[in-house]
This record gives sequence, C-alpha cells and structure tokens, in this order.
Amino acid sequence: MRKLDKTLIIGIGNNTRQDDGLGWCFLDKLVEAGFNEDQLLYKYQLMVEDAELISEYETVIFVDANKTTLDKGFSIERFYPAEKVAFSTHAVPPNQILNLCETIYHKKPKAYVIKIDGYSWNFTISLTNKATENLNNSLSCFKSFAF
Amino acid sequence: MNKKKIVIEPVTRVEGHGKVTIKMDENGKVEDAFLHIVEFRGFEKFIQGHPYWEAPVLVQRLCGICPVSHHIAAAKAIDQLVGVDPENLSPTATKLRKLLHYGQVFQSHSLHFFYLASPDILFGINAPAENRNIVAVAAENRELAKKGILMRKFGQEIIKALAGKKIHGILAVPGGVHKTFTNQERQYFLDGIQIPNIDTMIEWSKEIIDFMKNYHLENAKWIDNFAAYPSNHLGLVHKETGALELYDGRLRSVDFEGKELLNIEDIEYRYHFKEAVEPWSYLKFPYMTKYGRENGWNRVGPLARINTCSHISTPLAEIERQIFKAYTQNKPNNMTMHTHWARLIEMLHCAELIKELLFDDEIMGTDLVRKGTPRNKGIGIIEAPRGTLIHEYHTDDKGLITKCNLIVSTTHNNEAMNRGVRAVAQEVLNDKPEITEPMLNQVEMAIRAYDPCLSCATHALGEMPLIVKIEDHLGNLIDEKIR
Repeated sequence: MRKLDKTLIIGIGNNTRQDDGLGWCFLDKLVEAGFNEDQLLYKYQLMVEDAELISEYETVIFVDANKTTLDKGFSIERFYPAEKVAFSTHAVPPNQILNLCETIYHKKPKAYVIKIDGYSWNFTISLTNKATENLNNSLSCFKSFAF
Repeated sequence: MNKKKIVIEPVTRVEGHGKVTIKMDENGKVEDAFLHIVEFRGFEKFIQGHPYWEAPVLVQRLCGICPVSHHIAAAKAIDQLVGVDPENLSPTATKLRKLLHYGQVFQSHSLHFFYLASPDILFGINAPAENRNIVAVAAENRELAKKGILMRKFGQEIIKALAGKKIHGILAVPGGVHKTFTNQERQYFLDGIQIPNIDTMIEWSKEIIDFMKNYHLENAKWIDNFAAYPSNHLGLVHKETGALELYDGRLRSVDFEGKELLNIEDIEYRYHFKEAVEPWSYLKFPYMTKYGRENGWNRVGPLARINTCSHISTPLAEIERQIFKAYTQNKPNNMTMHTHWARLIEMLHCAELIKELLFDDEIMGTDLVRKGTPRNKGIGIIEAPRGTLIHEYHTDDKGLITKCNLIVSTTHNNEAMNRGVRAVAQEVLNDKPEITEPMLNQVEMAIRAYDPCLSCATHALGEMPLIVKIEDHLGNLIDEKIR
C-alpha cells in the first residue's frame, strides 16, 4: 500500500440513507483490508475547513454515491480545482474544496473522485444488492491500481 | 399601476429553504412582505412513542450545524424526567455540558461570521454574486479566512473530544454525562502543538471584534440603518446576577427601550408564551401571551442576549459589551446588522469561558450521573447560537414520549425576519418593482443577520437554495429570480 502513503481517502454520505452509505462502506472495506484508518475520513458532507485538512496530503480521494448511471456502475476520475465557486453549508463539491485549498494554503494535492452508482435512498441501514455489486467492482478496480 | 408581488426563493447562505414574497400596491409602493418557510419535518410528531432517553440522540438530527444545542436542550429536559433538576446535576457533568455548549456556540458563530456573513461585510451590498462567498474572502484576505477556519475547527475539536465526533455525537445521558475529560484531552487545547491553543482563540476573537468595530466606524450609516426597527428582545440571564447566560437561567424580555416585559423561571414558559400560525409558512410565530400576537413577539440571538443581560461574566467580553452598549447610550440596540457585532462579542465570551473550564480540574471528575424520582414532564431551555431554544417532553409511566414541543431560535425570530424583509423591501423596492442582484442580496442580508436555521425551525432535509417573486394584486407573476 505504499502507493497510498500521504493519501487521504474521504468517504462522503450517510449510512442511514441506504445507498447514500456507499462512500462509508467503501472505507469500511478498506479497513477490513487492513488499510491505515488514520488515512480514512467519514463525512456526511464536505465543509470549508476540509481545505485545511487536505492541504496536509499529497493525494486526496473522495468516494461518494452517484445518482446517474455510469457505464460500469462506478468511475474513478482525476479532477482539478473549480474555477467558479459558490458556497452553501449544505453542499460544497470536492473541486471547490480543492480551490479553497489552493487559494488559502497554496497547496495542490492530486485529487480523484470515485463515484459509485446507488439506486435507493430510504431510511435504511443497508445497501441495495446492485449498489453492493457496484461497490465491490469499484473496490477491485481501486485496489488493482492503488495497492 | 397594478398591485405586484415579488418573490425571492430560495434564500441563500442561510440554513434551510426560504422564499420571500413582496406585494406591491397600485401605486408601486411595498404593501407587505413575507418570509415563507416551505419545509416541513414533523420531529415533534415522530418522536412520540420513543423512550425518553432516545430524545437527546434523535432530536439532534434536526440539524447538522447546531446538533449539540438540541442534544443539550433535550438532555436538560430528560434530566427532569429522571428527577434531576439543573442544580442537582453533578458539578463535573454540568461543567462538561457547558464546555460542549460553549464549543458549539464558538464554532457556530465562527461559521456564520467567516463563511456566511463576511462576504457581505468585505465586499459590500453591491458586490457581484460570484464574489460573495468564502472563496472570494479567502482570495481577498487569506489570513482572515485561515483564522476563520481554525476558529471553527477549535470549537469542533472541543465537541469531538467530548461527544466523540463533530456532528451528531453524544455526551449527555439522563442525569449527567457518560464520559469525563482526560488531562491529555485538556492539554490538546492548551499546548498549541497540534492546533492553535485557547489563548490564540481569545486573541483572534479580540482581533475580529476590532475588525468589526473598524468596519462599523467606516460604514456606520448603512450598518446602523439597514433593516433596523424597534422590537422586544428575549434571552436567558443568570438567575442571581442577571448576567449573560447560555446554559441555564431565567427568561427575560425587554422592549425596544429597555422596559422589562418578562422575567420568569425558564420552566414556566408555557404559561407566558403562545404560538400563532399563518397559512403561508410552516414556521410558527411565538409571542408573549400577555402582550398579544402583534406586540408580544421577540428577537432572540446574540443581539437580544446582549440587550437583555445586565453584564457579561468574563472580563474581555464585558469590556466589549460596554463599548457596544455605549453606542446606544445603554439602551437596547435595535439595529439588525449589529447582530454580527454582538455575535463576535459572544465568541470572545465563549473563548474565555472555555479557558476557565479547561483550567478547572472538576472537568476531570468522575461523579458523572445523578438520579432522582422520575417525573412525567421535562423542560429544557438553553441559549443556542441563534437564540433561545426550548424542548419540552411528556412521557407515560413506561417512559415513552407522549408529547413533544420544540420552539427553536429561528421560530422566535420569525416575526423579526419578516419585519426585516419588509424594512428592506420598502427601502429598496418602492417605485422599482424589479428584482436586481443588489436587491436580492439586501433582502437576504436582512434574513441572514439572524443566522436562521430553517431546517431546525420547521423541525427539514434537503438543499438550501432563495426564490423571489413579484406578483400583482391579482397574484399574477411579474418577475421571478431563483438561485
């Protein structure tokens, strides 16, 4: 796992809202695989202060559930700081956090987002079968290039 | 000219969904203005049937910004259900809850000032929308942004240390708390190694008050007059001294000139307050029964608290309070934008209180939980960051909740926000029934000064976006902007 030294992985979501828990479940699976828990962060949502946090890492990976349909049920993409920003305490996208990190701390960590398709968002603590399949596929892919 | 109606929906940089409607008369003058709260949640209903001890855990899900406030208010009520009044809680439990509460107020006030309000103050009313956000603040004043982030972080770290996590953690249990504080945890906030220490927080709080005072000196005309109007003010005060009180005290209300309207034991609130409803909003309108719906409403929050207290118990914040009060010749301050100034004084007060508690060895005590004779009714009232927060629970003999009443801070401020919107609308819209960007922003600023949490107030899930509409007297849409 040396490739992931100085890497922070942020799972975004809410595990009490069914497939919205995909980001957290991804981290749970990494813990089971022996990944360093100090490099994992469970978040309901991103906030401005996360810019300070990611400034301390060389690489940051955001994992979140996805509502649209991706070809493989998941995607892993590199992304860059947003050029335009808006702010709400209820939704700060990762590319805006990168922008803040660059603006305030003059740091530019490499950033990736892992999107995993979810299908149901009810008040339930468990993933749908299809979302679980997407989670496992995304983990396999992630491990193959990261570990 | 026909009557017209302007609607702003949703309101931005506030916590929750809001919509503003402004009605114009036939002569192009503002006839009336309304802030509609269009969310509905129903926490008071669906908590019924749950065991009482779940309340402090469940109700904090009302909000991701001030869960600690709901946790503590509910805990104070639940204490009574197990027969423990606030004065009978162990000193360690009381102090740990207060430390959690002050950490919450400190981080919430930091968030509001630095993330939400500072763009208005740094860039002014007429700044383009794309500049009115924390990123533009960061580009304009990097040090200010850094301090804002670290101040909020400090408060959140206090919460994490006590409640286990920054959002939706748990410290309080019926009759006390479930954990004490360790010396290692205390040192984290004192040694300044991993995060700036509490002395730095106090210094930065003083700096930001100086920033605000200087800003006021340069912009007194608009900051004094913007959305200013007379009102009553409500807040908790210390039971013996009358000082500013955030955790437990008497409810005191004064009118716009300082005449005392109410001074009661907090648990007697039911006998002195009623809640009115309007068909156009899910948000209720609390008022003091004795003075009626029209004259009995109050502002709550930082401005109201400074107006209702006799003094502040910590020295540095008291100096700032005296300066603040001197500006209005010791009369209540009814200038809405001065709420930001008052909020910063409270930040300093909380920082001083946190320091006092960090140096108090009792926070590391082991007497954590007390018990008494169970009762069927409990009322918990605290001063949350946004104002007076009331939780009341009734249970059956099995301990299941049969009734719940929540009056949150933003609910108290409902009438005040509506008056603020009306004042701004009359100032900027008369003869110009058109939605411009500066007009939109000014309406929002009048609401934002109260730091409203509309999710809490309607007890809601979802995004937080402002809709403004203009309609004629027949309800026909003339103009609309959504962002």
